Formats: sequence, structure tokens, C-alpha cells
Amino acid sequence: MKLPAYQLKSSETLTSYEFVSEGKKGFIQKRIQFSLINKDEVYNLAFGDKKPATGDIDDLAISDNGDREKVLTTILSAVYAFTEEKPNAWIFAVGSTPSRTRLYQIGIGKYYNDLTEEFEIFGQLNGEWETFETGKNYTPFLAKRR
Amino acid sequence: MKSIAELNASKVPLVIIDGKLNALDKVVLFPEKVEQAKKIINKSGLPKKKH
Repeated sequence: MKLPAYQLKSSETLTSYEFVSEGKKGFIQKRIQFSLINKDEVYNLAFGDKKPATGDIDDLAISDNGDREKVLTTILSAVYAFTEEKPNAWIFAVGSTPSRTRLYQIGIGKYYNDLTEEFEIFGQLNGEWETFETGKNYTPFLAKRR
Repeated sequence: MKSIAELNASKVPLVIIDGKLNALDKVVLFPEKVEQAKKIINKSGLPKKKH
């Protein structure tokens, strides 16, 4: 996979991350968190912008900072780091909007060959999981280390 | 651009542990979405891994 990615800061458990997007709109603080969903070690991947005024995290913000690719590879870096620590974890991801889900889909598709060297990736279609294939509109996604 | 192998071999870490972020672990981001994800997993189960 071709990077660059932003440098991530993480909590000691590698479940919470922050990084700063640098682009045409300036510096935007971002947060990533992996939250345990159930006992099968399924974790939800949450991602959003930190609002400067309140510190709240907004997963609907449209940053338009001109660094979408770099942000995407940074999120993937966090997935790599987290699953390095928890190799049995399933990562559940769905976009906060259909267009974001589509963005995730494009991102997975773009790096599919590299990602599948280390991950099994699945998408849900009509309520059924199947191995991810590019060109299909899945929601949500699951990934697990091989 | 560097490959993953090169980055992994580099001495510049992509992830820096910052103890100040430990507090974030205690607050679940978007709990309603975690709940929604739980419902989806409970309904459809997990896919079968091939490897």
C-alpha cells in the first residue's frame, strides 16, 4: 500500500486515536475509536472530526480539507495498529452517511490487494455477509486479521 | 512514497502512545451506532473465515 498517512497518537490500549489533518482549510483534529460491540471481539470503528469549540466529535462533518486519501490511509493505519494488538478482533465499519460508506468502499477497493494480504474483508449485501468484491455496494463491512 | 514494508522497517513510528488519550477509552464514541452495530451482528452473525 502506498501511504503517506498522518502520524497517530494513541491511548495505551490502542483503542483511541487522534491525528491532525492538514489541508486547504487548515488543521482539523480527528479522532478514531474502536469500541467493543460484543463478546466475540467485534469492535465498531468510529471516526469523526473534533469540534474546536466543544471538543465533541462530529461524524457528519464535511471537512473538505483536500486530504481525503491521506485521512483514509491514516484510518487504515489505525486498523493495522489496533489489530496488531488484538489479532482476533473483528472490525465493524459503516459510514455515517451513504456517501461515507461509499467512500470506505472505494478506499477498501483501492487498497484491496494489499489489505487482503493481512485481512479477510467482508461486506454485507441484503443482510448476508460475503467476501468483499470491488464494484459491489456493501454496508456495513467487517475485517479480521488472517 | 514508501511501501508498508519500508515504513514498518523505519524508525519513525506511525503511532505514538500518549497517556493523555487514555481517558478517551472510557467514553464510547457514538454509542447509538455501537448499539446499531450490535443489532446487525446479533441478527446476521459473523461471516465464516476462510483462513
